[in-house]
Amino acid sequence: MTVYVCEDSLEGIFTGIYRAYEEKRDRADTMLSLEDEPMLFAEHVKVGPDRSRAAKVIRTLERRFGQEDYLSLCMALAADDPGKAQAVYKTVARGLERNSAPGHLFDDLADGDVHRAFSLARGASREFHHLQGFVRFQEVEDKVLYSAIGPKNNVLTFLMAHFADRLPRENFVLFDDKRKLFGIHPAGGSWYLLQGEEDLKPRPCPSEEEERYQEAFRGFCRAIAIRERYNPQLQRNLLPLRFREYMLEFQ
Amino acid sequence: MQYLAGGGEDPLKGKLEILASAAKYDVACTSSGTDRHNDGTGTGNCFAAGICHSFSSDGRCISLLKILFTNECIYDCKYCINRASNDVPRAAFTPEEVVRLTLEFYRRNYIEGLFLSSGIIGNPSLTMELLCRTVWLLRNRYQFNGYVHVKAIPGADPELIRAAGFLADRMSVNLELPTAEGLRALAPGKHRKNILTPMRQIQTGIRENQSDLVVYRNAPRFVGGGQATQMIIGATPENDWQILQVTESLYQKFELKRVFYSAFVNVTGDRALPSLPGGPPLLREHRLYQADWLLRFYGFQASELLDESRPFFNVMLDPKEDWAVRHLEQFPVEIRRAPLERLLRVPGIGVKSARRIVAARRNADLTFQDLKKIGVVLKRALYFITCGGKMMYPVKLEEDYIVRNLTDVRERVRFGSDGMTYRQMSLFDDGRFTGAVSAAEQRQAAAGQF
Repeated sequence: MTVYVCEDSLEGIFTGIYRAYEEKRDRADTMLSLEDEPMLFAEHVKVGPDRSRAAKVIRTLERRFGQEDYLSLCMALAADDPGKAQAVYKTVARGLERNSAPGHLFDDLADGDVHRAFSLARGASREFHHLQGFVRFQEVEDKVLYSAIGPKNNVLTFLMAHFADRLPRENFVLFDDKRKLFGIHPAGGSWYLLQGEEDLKPRPCPSEEEERYQEAFRGFCRAIAIRERYNPQLQRNLLPLRFREYMLEFQ
Repeated sequence: MQYLAGGGEDPLKGKLEILASAAKYDVACTSSGTDRHNDGTGTGNCFAAGICHSFSSDGRCISLLKILFTNECIYDCKYCINRASNDVPRAAFTPEEVVRLTLEFYRRNYIEGLFLSSGIIGNPSLTMELLCRTVWLLRNRYQFNGYVHVKAIPGADPELIRAAGFLADRMSVNLELPTAEGLRALAPGKHRKNILTPMRQIQTGIRENQSDLVVYRNAPRFVGGGQATQMIIGATPENDWQILQVTESLYQKFELKRVFYSAFVNVTGDRALPSLPGGPPLLREHRLYQADWLLRFYGFQASELLDESRPFFNVMLDPKEDWAVRHLEQFPVEIRRAPLERLLRVPGIGVKSARRIVAARRNADLTFQDLKKIGVVLKRALYFITCGGKMMYPVKLEEDYIVRNLTDVRERVRFGSDGMTYRQMSLFDDGRFTGAVSAAEQRQAAAGQF
């Protein structure tokens, strides 16, 4: 058994997959792991992230499985799960071996690894879809929009791409509270990520106008509900409590 | 958790609350049907699946800034909170105010776009013109690229409706009540013909636009997200069968994207209206939505679900279960072989899981465990399916038996019997210890095998 220990990032895991293929390992006898926990009778190989190798893997995945399935794989790798590298590796290896047509990588749900990768991707993309709606920007200094989120999965990258397309002429900052990760979008420019500089976090100093709109939206949410249909259980199912911490209409 | 009330006297906020509250009985708050990227100059994009931005305390989604332009109205429809004879605070926006609210809410990601409806102020054409002007400002002066849903006002100049169609993503005309008699009784100012005319006009517009788009790829889109309507359920004595027939013909003859149902809430207390001591007919509304999905995605016909002799939906079973137990001759369905259309008719299997089954069975012999992974709701499906010729548990394919199990304690079948299913557990009277200890048990106990 060979265990490739990779870094927990898209680049790191794709480099691990590259190494496993480069060394022509038997798929059944190979593992990708994120943490360096010693296993009995296993040879541990540390793999550092390598941009050019990861790019090669990405190119192959896109060509062989299509854009949609490639994005699902990325979603699975954004999930918060220690077994994600292994599940994605097995899924990819299986797809390459069986020559899956684009869009059919996740067809074989009866297979344990494919199902695992599939459900990780589904979980992450559901959270991404939730946050597309639940992010609340507030205006801080100089008309910069700022929002904090606390997602279970690492979906900040996807959110940045979404909001960059939506608000190209705004300066905005998204802050992942769990991973201390900033996504920064300058108006008219391209966005980037910044790790760990806590002091970058703007202190909310809402202007009078900002407070007015916040108050107006709270009022709107109250006014739009029909009293006779009051159903907090349904509301909780559709909008889980963990998101509400960051949403102004619940504060 | 509820929204907290806040103080502060902001005239715009006051107006917004009045006009949002007046719009809340409009059901449609979807932002789906359009996929549009931003070209880098404007504000906003659209996402085909739609995005919900919040959920109000009644569990309905808040996706669009749903407001009336004004709640003044010349009509006196008996069911409507904004009717002319009602004594409620009235307000009206200006187009600029609506535009400002939409843009400021949108950039803070509170909303996905605008849902603009209105009471009739002056006459229908004047109202429609105001709506048009608002959306025109939003689209052309402020390059707003997000979702816009506009009501077509019945009786307005067709040219105005056409203009609105080129600005909006979705348009809707409310049917209000399922039948012409109901409309005549409760909405004296409105006529069925007036409602159906703009609906037909929008349908024709969408069709023509589609053939235009084939020729000119960049032709402006006319109501790209499709047309919708809504009707009130439970204000008039129509039965579910009539409502479902109306729905089906709206989908087939008017090519609507969605029909919405709104459980009637008696807000005016008019004596022509039924009083509903048990609250709004929410279960009925729910059953209608379930049936609506069966019509649109599962290949069902209205006449299969209900008929004249059974004009109402079953309260206990959903429409699909109800259909299945009445058509047991078509079951069980073999998961490994049955075509997609037959899989879709099994209770507990939805569109997604049916597609996944078809894809997954190419590579493996599916088992019940796999079905669970795929997302089939086995507690409903198990009576109707076989995997490799075997059912999951020994069940009888018998209407009474299945109905009892689908509605009652659903775990019952697991024990393979119809008799005793559960009882209170107690630490002190375990049933197994009532008999005398046998010699074999004594030996086992002595050998430490217990």
